[in-house]
Amino acid sequence: MTKVVIMNEEIIASLVRVTTPEQRRLANKVMEEALERANFSFDEITYVVATGYGRINVAFADKQVTEISCHARGVASLIPTVRTIIDIGGQDCKGIKLSAGKVVNFVMNDKCAAGTGRFLEITARALGVKLEEIGKLSLTSRKPVEISSTCTVFAEQEVVTKLAEGIPLSDILAGLHQAIASRILTMVSRVRIEREVVVTGGGAKNVGLVRALESRLGFPVLIPPDPLLTGAIGAALLGRDAAEKAQKEGLPLAKRQRRLEEVELFA
Amino acid sequence: MDSRTVSHIIPSGGNYRLAAEKAVSEALAKSNLPMENAVPVVATGYGANSIPSAHIVTDISCHAKGTSHLLPSARTAIDIGDMFTRVIRLDSEGRATSFLSSGICAGGSGRVLQVIAHVLRVRLEDIGELSLKSQNRVNFHTSCAVFAETETVSRVAEGTLKEDVLAGLHRALAAQIQSLVERLGVERDCALVGGGAKDIGLVKSLEEVMGLKLLVHEEPQIVAALGAALIAREKADRS
Repeated sequence: MTKVVIMNEEIIASLVRVTTPEQRRLANKVMEEALERANFSFDEITYVVATGYGRINVAFADKQVTEISCHARGVASLIPTVRTIIDIGGQDCKGIKLSAGKVVNFVMNDKCAAGTGRFLEITARALGVKLEEIGKLSLTSRKPVEISSTCTVFAEQEVVTKLAEGIPLSDILAGLHQAIASRILTMVSRVRIEREVVVTGGGAKNVGLVRALESRLGFPVLIPPDPLLTGAIGAALLGRDAAEKAQKEGLPLAKRQRRLEEVELFA
Repeated sequence: MDSRTVSHIIPSGGNYRLAAEKAVSEALAKSNLPMENAVPVVATGYGANSIPSAHIVTDISCHAKGTSHLLPSARTAIDIGDMFTRVIRLDSEGRATSFLSSGICAGGSGRVLQVIAHVLRVRLEDIGELSLKSQNRVNFHTSCAVFAETETVSRVAEGTLKEDVLAGLHRALAAQIQSLVERLGVERDCALVGGGAKDIGLVKSLEEVMGLKLLVHEEPQIVAALGAALIAREKADRS
């Protein structure tokens, strides 16, 4: 997903769009759309920070910052008591450890889809259920079924077979949620999980996954109001920090020559 | 004793028991032989447990046996199957002496070839020849089949040629298999068996990465089943 946040003292406009392969063109498009919502012109934006996998494809950004720093900044501003962030995206999954709002350690899996939200996306599709419905459905399970495949590709096949065998959909979904919750926590425990634990990313919108994580952790987790936006909020805050610092010190803000225009694809 | 060999391959599907019954009856029909209940039957592979009244022998042993029978000089067999990749060391009698298996990961097995062939809309049997045409192999950034699928879609959207994607895929899979081979150590001759051996692009890529010539039989997919049959015949001869 591609997200935009425009802010001054508070968020003026935000939006979330599906990431397409043509990322440079997409970045322009979502920025234009967000500016329209905010009723701002591009020249009125003081500073632009890009983050995430495609951050180098945001040609008009003044600065690129890693998503780890941005997530940490965003979450810590929303929930200051946070010590551990679990970010569950469709492309990767991260565990970030904070102390007094600063990143002290992190772990990430972007190597294997089975430990990311993609696992649920693909298996939900195979089962013919909408991604936004699987969490609720899984909570109605009485007897979660064990999913023996780790690999997403083989799990996809396994769940279809299980459904054909007559195993209730809710039990399969509950099994899938337990499987991924266990894999995620195994990874994140490498940074020592401490409360408060905040879950972000698309995974935080899945109540079945959140419950599965909580039942394994043995305590409740916190979810920010817009769990998909925390990275973009963090990027905007870091942009604002840079602008405020420059102003306070009376120094010029290091900005790039930037224009919001149609870029040549893959040039 | 009649020493004819008849073979038959069908997709396993979700029900291993039904698939086994179907494969056996179709093979018997091909051979014009009746099913004799008293004959020992050996089952092997992932679904072997679902075959009632069969002796179960590991696919490691069966691969070693079958490889040795078809390619007597082989001391190492690399089996690239649908679910696993395995490296097996064997002696001159066709006994497995050691082996290593990849985890059940589609990215490290032949499955990734099916996944990508499907995305590219190329028939699985055509990807090898197509891959050999590549002049400009792409560099795959992932070994996960799911992420490789996404990467393929992006590459194709960028205008990358299918053969370049396939050559990159073959190279990435070959590198992964090579790291498994290195852990066990290779003794020559080295044979390539399993469905993956039917993919000439993968064979060439592996030979390049490993720096040696691989032995490939014309029916590589039947090797484990042949090994099982040889073990069954030994049982029959002993009784």
